[in-house]
Amino acid sequence: MAESKSIKEFISILGAANVTTDSSGVTDYSIDGLVPKAVLFPENEEQISEILKVASRESVSVMPVGSGTKRSLGNIPPSLDVLLSTQKLDRVLEHEARDLVATTQSGVTLEGFQNKLGENNQFLSVNPMHQAHGATIGGIIASNASGPLRLRYGTLRELLIGLRVVRADGTVFKGGSKVVKNVAGYDLPKLYVGSLGTLGIITEATLRLYPVPERSETYLVSFTTLEKCAETVMELLKSELVMNSLELLNPLLVNEVTGRIGIELKRKKHALAIRVMNVDKAVSEQMALVKKVCNKARGQGVTVEGESENKLWDEIVNCPWNKSSENLVKLKAGVLITDVARVFSELEELSSQRALILYASSKAGNGIVDITLKGDTADLASTINTLREYCESGKGSLVIEAATPELKSEVDVWGDIGSGLALMKRIKSNFDPAGILNPGRFI
Amino acid sequence: MSSDWKIAFKDKLLAILGPQGVIYKDDELIAYECDALTGHRVKPVFVALPETAEQVSSVVRECYEQNVPYVPRGAGTGLSGGALPTEEGIVISLSRMNKILDIDIPNERVVVEPGVVNVSVTDAVSSSGYYYAPDPSSQIVCTIGGNVAENSGGVHCLKYGVTSNHVLGLEVVLPDGEIIQIGGKTAERPGYDLAGLVVGSEGLLGIVTKVTLRIVRKPETVKTLFATFDRIEDAGASVSGITARGVIPAGMEIMDNLCIRSVEEAIGCGYPVDAGAILLVELDGPEAEVTAQMPIVQSVLKDHNANEIKIARDSNERDLFWKGRKSAFPAMGRISSDYYVQDGVIPRSKLAEVLGKVGELSKKYGLRVANVFHAGDGNLHPLVLYDGNVEDEYHKALELAGDILTVCVDSGGSITGEHGVGHDKKRFLSLMFDESDLDTMNLLRCSFDVKGLCNPGKVFPTPRTCVEPGMKPYKEHPLQKKGLGEMY
Ligand SMILES: Cc1cc2nc3c(=O)[nH]c(=O)nc-3n(C[C@H](O)[C@H](O)[C@H](O)COP(=O)(O)OP(=O)(O)OC[C@H]3O[C@@H](n4cnc5c(N)ncnc54)[C@H](O)[C@@H]3O)c2cc1C
Repeated sequence: MAESKSIKEFISILGAANVTTDSSGVTDYSIDGLVPKAVLFPENEEQISEILKVASRESVSVMPVGSGTKRSLGNIPPSLDVLLSTQKLDRVLEHEARDLVATTQSGVTLEGFQNKLGENNQFLSVNPMHQAHGATIGGIIASNASGPLRLRYGTLRELLIGLRVVRADGTVFKGGSKVVKNVAGYDLPKLYVGSLGTLGIITEATLRLYPVPERSETYLVSFTTLEKCAETVMELLKSELVMNSLELLNPLLVNEVTGRIGIELKRKKHALAIRVMNVDKAVSEQMALVKKVCNKARGQGVTVEGESENKLWDEIVNCPWNKSSENLVKLKAGVLITDVARVFSELEELSSQRALILYASSKAGNGIVDITLKGDTADLASTINTLREYCESGKGSLVIEAATPELKSEVDVWGDIGSGLALMKRIKSNFDPAGILNPGRFI
Repeated sequence: MSSDWKIAFKDKLLAILGPQGVIYKDDELIAYECDALTGHRVKPVFVALPETAEQVSSVVRECYEQNVPYVPRGAGTGLSGGALPTEEGIVISLSRMNKILDIDIPNERVVVEPGVVNVSVTDAVSSSGYYYAPDPSSQIVCTIGGNVAENSGGVHCLKYGVTSNHVLGLEVVLPDGEIIQIGGKTAERPGYDLAGLVVGSEGLLGIVTKVTLRIVRKPETVKTLFATFDRIEDAGASVSGITARGVIPAGMEIMDNLCIRSVEEAIGCGYPVDAGAILLVELDGPEAEVTAQMPIVQSVLKDHNANEIKIARDSNERDLFWKGRKSAFPAMGRISSDYYVQDGVIPRSKLAEVLGKVGELSKKYGLRVANVFHAGDGNLHPLVLYDGNVEDEYHKALELAGDILTVCVDSGGSITGEHGVGHDKKRFLSLMFDESDLDTMNLLRCSFDVKGLCNPGKVFPTPRTCVEPGMKPYKEHPLQKKGLGEMY
């Protein structure tokens, strides 16, 4: 690129204080081992628009990030010019509690947002990874990150009702609206959920909220076999229970999680974490039913409430990564609900054959399996390929969410995107004709 | 275009679809001239009635090659003229593609062809304890294909969401005839959310030929409450009062006095004709939850001056409460020869204020407006009553209905919550979106339909063309620059 010239322009748009170019500063933001030439911290939408105009004109590649917690998601970038962080777009703009709707700038952290909403006893009903590491609203939207709460509330797809975006050519537009029901024009917010920064930079989001339930309780219960777990899952799903989360955990994860929060679970086997959030009496009655179903399958469990319950869910979502992210691989499989147990056992078999360390949890009512593996690169690569074939043969998918560059150069990050790929590429090239936004990483 | 193309085109259609699959006689085409927005009519040249996605693809390919515009059509119950034919264009009706392909209860999915009627999905899974949540009032006739195109809602979307929250996969015939599979039975797939885009695109991005739907478990308990108020403003304020207390009912519906009277006259379901407004609140879920929440709702209503509060004792009484609400549109025929259904959305918290303004507009125009609406999500359906035989009343009604949209948008809302923009509301889209917003939508349309043949002339206020994808801004060739060559 006409690097130094563009960087000078960026500095004149943002001021030197908002552009990091020193080598230790930029190294902190490296992606898949590549170091950006500069990291930009715009303070407002106009500045983002000006930057993207320059970048489009000069063919400077721009990688949008929030706090950067999901930087490893995507193919290895073919080249890396600048990172653009939305961190300084950090204001919650409006919280209309009576409408259960709030509008926020995209760089606000989920944690900060929840704190603000909590003042009115409301919340954004997602609990994805990395919340404690500063995951931002924009980043969560762009990566469609979700957590165990999706069983009850869905993902950002269900919650994002409006947004403002700066397109690659600097055009600023808004999509959706500030009301929960709206079908005027195309549903542009949907396009941006999971778009991974390839179609524009989200500057503002309007989100649908929920009231904080009166009480929450979790039953952590282990079973003698994976099959028993799976049967219980199906039993619970077809009952009239309204669960907020239903997570299936592999023995190693159960061990690790219970150890870290100091819960005693006698049997070190596959377990379910079943969460119910509701008015007080409904929690008690539903939990009684949950326990009845689990007892029938000889489950042994403990009830977790209050602060330890929050910790429990935080650990389930983040656990292996809370320890260290060195050489860990994170995968996400999307499969049929009825295939979850099969994927689990296939996965366990593959990992034990290759002596890989495996942590696995599944949003069992959604057919999502979150997998963390540690081991030798070649073994990991072959495991991923086999597992992907297995998932895809059942009309599912397997995506690499984080991996070392060595591993990424051996296996495809996304897998088969399907017959819509050509159309996705047309969308990408129409929205970003100069190909500057996160090129090569996704679509 | 001379009409020669029509003869050749008819033969092509007959070859693809057979004699049962093409309508070309004038008297039979009349049925396709309009949807439920009957004020606008255009006779299509032909109607194609494909039975498979491959046939749809062949017809679309033919249109693409011959530059013939086409309009997809389900049951024709749309209220915004979405299925209104295009001049010199054909209609592709999906009504013969009406099979339920797969019922998968353990995975909570049903796969259907687009012509399947909404209520048949619930009928097919009901015995297993499941149902399909989006329930537009037209559900006994409207099709899933139409629901997908309009992103239809219903009376329970406050809690359960609209069509887009229940569609996981689509098969789509793109405007160049290519058949693509989007998403599927699993909750997530890599790539852009194309299903999310096609849902609600009003038939402009392609023809949907298969839909994978999410079904949900029937709730343990359903309880319906009926309350009357002297003032509709109090009913409105109750609605945000209820959600403010942390209760999210399955649905909340309000009817005003004019509406109550016409419904009572039409079907006699026992509504008190002197009430200023009726509010229906439906709670569903686990027994304990519903039992705990009902008193909260009741106390909010009392705080807002509710008069009579009744809770349905059984499903018969519940049906009776709902019967009036569900007959609200047709009942208007009792008190007015004609009416126009408006569909605007406002923030819940502004209900009282906006209803006041609608009342003022009604006075200003000298036309009656009956209010019936999905109050829980702020989706108003003001019914503007007029007499089509009185000169200019129709236009006055339209103008009044348009002014209501301005009030909705000014309050922070939308020009349509579920009926779509279609043909009817094109000119109002600019109330919400400026040029760059519309331009962005057009980029999307152009990614799907470069020639603009798929349901053209709808949604966008002014026609927009596409630059071929990948075409870079024009740069002069060096030879041209030097004046050594010209481009022809
Ligand atoms: C009395 C009455 C009550 C109503 N109540 C509600 C309500 O409560 N909530 C609500 O949301 N709506 C309601 N509607 C509106 C209407 O029923 C819905 O919009 C419905 O989804 C339309 O379905 P349809 O099959 O009739 O579609 P049509 O009217 O035939 O078509 C609607 C649009 O969908 C497109 N289309 C149809 N099939 C396909 C396909 N396979 N692929 C691509 N595009 C396609 C058409 O081109 C058109 O743009 C009501 C209508 C009436 C008459």
